[in-house]
Amino acid sequence: MKTCSSMATLWSKISDVLPPGEEQFPLQFSDTVESSLVDVLKRSRRQLYGDAASSSSRAIDAQIILDFSWEKLNTGTWRHVDKEWRRVYAYGCLFKVAALCREGPSADNVPQAVRTCDMGLLMGAAIMDNILQVIVGILQGEVRKSSKEEDDKTEQVEVKRLKIECPRAPVIRGELAVPRVKCPSLESFNTNHLLPLKPVILEGIIDHWPALNGHRWSIEYLRSVAGCRTVPVEVGSRYTDEEWSQTLLTVDEFIDRYILNEDGVTGLGYLAQHQLFDQIPELKEDIRLPDYCCLGEEDEDDITVNAWFGPGGTVSPLHHDPQQNFLAQVVGSKYIRLYSPEDTDKLYPHQSQLLHNTSQVEAENPDTERFPDFAAAPYLECVLRPGDVLFIPVRHWHYVRSLELSFSVSFWWS
Amino acid sequence: MRWFGFGFNAFGQIRVRGRATSAASGDVAAEVKVIGPTEVTGHEGRSGRRLKTCRIKASWSRRASLHLNGDSCVCLAGFGAATSDESCGVSVVVSRGCTDASIGELHLTLVFPDRIESWDLQKKEETPSWSMELEPQSESSGPPLNLPLVTGGYIATKPPFYRSLSPHLKAKSLALGAEHAILLCATGAVYTWGLGSHGQLGHGGLTSEEEPRAVEALWGMTMSSVATGGWHSVCISDGGDLYVWGWNESGQLGLPSRGLRKALQQQSSQQAAGAACQVADSSPGEEVFISIQAFPALLDVAPSCEIRTVSCGSRHTAAVTTTGDLYTWGWGEYGQLGHQKLISSDEPKCVEFFREQQLHVVDVTCGTWNTFAAVIAEEVASS
Repeated sequence: MKTCSSMATLWSKISDVLPPGEEQFPLQFSDTVESSLVDVLKRSRRQLYGDAASSSSRAIDAQIILDFSWEKLNTGTWRHVDKEWRRVYAYGCLFKVAALCREGPSADNVPQAVRTCDMGLLMGAAIMDNILQVIVGILQGEVRKSSKEEDDKTEQVEVKRLKIECPRAPVIRGELAVPRVKCPSLESFNTNHLLPLKPVILEGIIDHWPALNGHRWSIEYLRSVAGCRTVPVEVGSRYTDEEWSQTLLTVDEFIDRYILNEDGVTGLGYLAQHQLFDQIPELKEDIRLPDYCCLGEEDEDDITVNAWFGPGGTVSPLHHDPQQNFLAQVVGSKYIRLYSPEDTDKLYPHQSQLLHNTSQVEAENPDTERFPDFAAAPYLECVLRPGDVLFIPVRHWHYVRSLELSFSVSFWWS
Repeated sequence: MRWFGFGFNAFGQIRVRGRATSAASGDVAAEVKVIGPTEVTGHEGRSGRRLKTCRIKASWSRRASLHLNGDSCVCLAGFGAATSDESCGVSVVVSRGCTDASIGELHLTLVFPDRIESWDLQKKEETPSWSMELEPQSESSGPPLNLPLVTGGYIATKPPFYRSLSPHLKAKSLALGAEHAILLCATGAVYTWGLGSHGQLGHGGLTSEEEPRAVEALWGMTMSSVATGGWHSVCISDGGDLYVWGWNESGQLGLPSRGLRKALQQQSSQQAAGAACQVADSSPGEEVFISIQAFPALLDVAPSCEIRTVSCGSRHTAAVTTTGDLYTWGWGEYGQLGHQKLISSDEPKCVEFFREQQLHVVDVTCGTWNTFAAVIAEEVASS
């Protein structure tokens, strides 16, 4: 149990990164944000710098801001939501974190504050030089201090259990195998693969990543860097299933539940297509942008880096994406199948607008009666292992199944 | 008729917040969240007599009390209104003689016999920000229309304010959600249009509709009333049955909500923090949860009772039975369900207060996060 004095230091650390006074604390919104809500935002700001308000009053006002902006974020489609509401949501998170850390003597408030920062980072827009990112760093330091004292016996048990899983790697037939090249020059990659849009596995281009060396991404390491952080998790075998859903869990909860199966939870969980590296800059230090991305026309900042972390058996149904993709395998192995966009007519894309980039066919177990042409579509396949980087050209159909505990990083670029 | 309110009161829109108590009081929660029915005191008219409130309309931060008998006017309470309930600002003067009114977060709409006016609530202006002349409604065209319906169309919450409706629809009443609309025709048919992302249109899918489209699942049944929340829709049939569809995120449809059960579990485990407690799943059986109900579903509010009136907040629903009981369900974290606690519910529950006080509920209207109910004494109701 933490003492009040260490909580007091936590609050002083947080106030150090806040603007020194009410006048320096920006609250500028467009007309989209109603004056009634701006009134609550201003009251929250006043409470942040004054001593008059009680902690419950601070918490209630922060919650009003969160509830109001949450409703706005869910009105209309996500893409069309005015960015102002994402900013308001982030302010709500900031005020809530302040209310949690200010005078609460209980250490339970810290994980809740971390979760609140993460919600702001996931659903909100950056405010005040991304102050939530700064504050979550401070809070994480606090969490780590208190968890250091914990026994590390449990971790050793986990390591043993993870080794029990054995990959069922399909045999890759020579003529279907995705070609492999070792560290090609930019020029040769451009001419032989990028311009003709030919898939290839690049070897040896990420061997220098700390994720594969010094900071090898083990379960213990991921727990220590990101354990208390909240991330979106896909639950269910494939995103095309009825039962599929998304939920928010901490990395620790995700590992306990879906990697180690501690609660006896049946079903698959997949931390998929999440920009984890923007959320947790410490993990970003462990990876590098592949040099080949510079062949694209975009700025480096426009490259979307996603994390894909899950147990064996996760499946991404046959689909294509609107950008070039480097899929880098860091931990474990994945079976991948690729179809050319020229054969789209044999792949039976879903009719609905939402899933038109996804095939109706289960690639490894096709219903030949419903989809007779599928068998005639030529494909390439591979097993991607740690250190491999697969180039998936834009609009190339791909099917991915993890063969064991797996962590991949994808780079979408144009 | 007396009015009671409960739920979100951060701006004093239910119970005017006393200056003395608001700042220093430790019980801020009780000020912001009114957990049980609290009588809404009437406003004083020019003669000094209390005005009788016929109807209440509520936005997120304000309440508009409509006094339509005799000296008709609209009084506002809540954000921007004076703290004393004696006066209620400019709205009284400009609203003299109005026949109907509605309120949103940005605008107050007033209907007069010959015109409609929209007043910008964020600016203190001397003239309405928008107005439109009305053609006098002919006697033969049926009963007078209520807002948002006006002759030939309806008044939207944002510009363009006036939008026309096809005369073929024979619009009888209309309810506007966050991004969708539900229309009742004189024939008893129901049409919906707008955003369909949460099943709120009731056509079985999640696609949006540009133009009014009949809710086919309700064909053959005559409906008598419609209402809409942020992402859900409800209607009452001639026989007093209630149909619901749309998003059930907080249990606002009165159907089992997984999201709500999860949130309740989390709350109870947080309260029990410290003790190594295992949260038992209260219903290990094969309960079917509804997240989105894309077709109308018949909801059993209470055994063998008929529904007289229904209204929706952004994420809650309130219905009055013909026997004078008020039932509420959905999001309850601001006290908007009136059950004397801050808990959401995915089952319709009777607001016991009115039964205990032997008050007969005759009308209900929801603000975004609060609820207002009109009552008469039970003796009056039975006589």
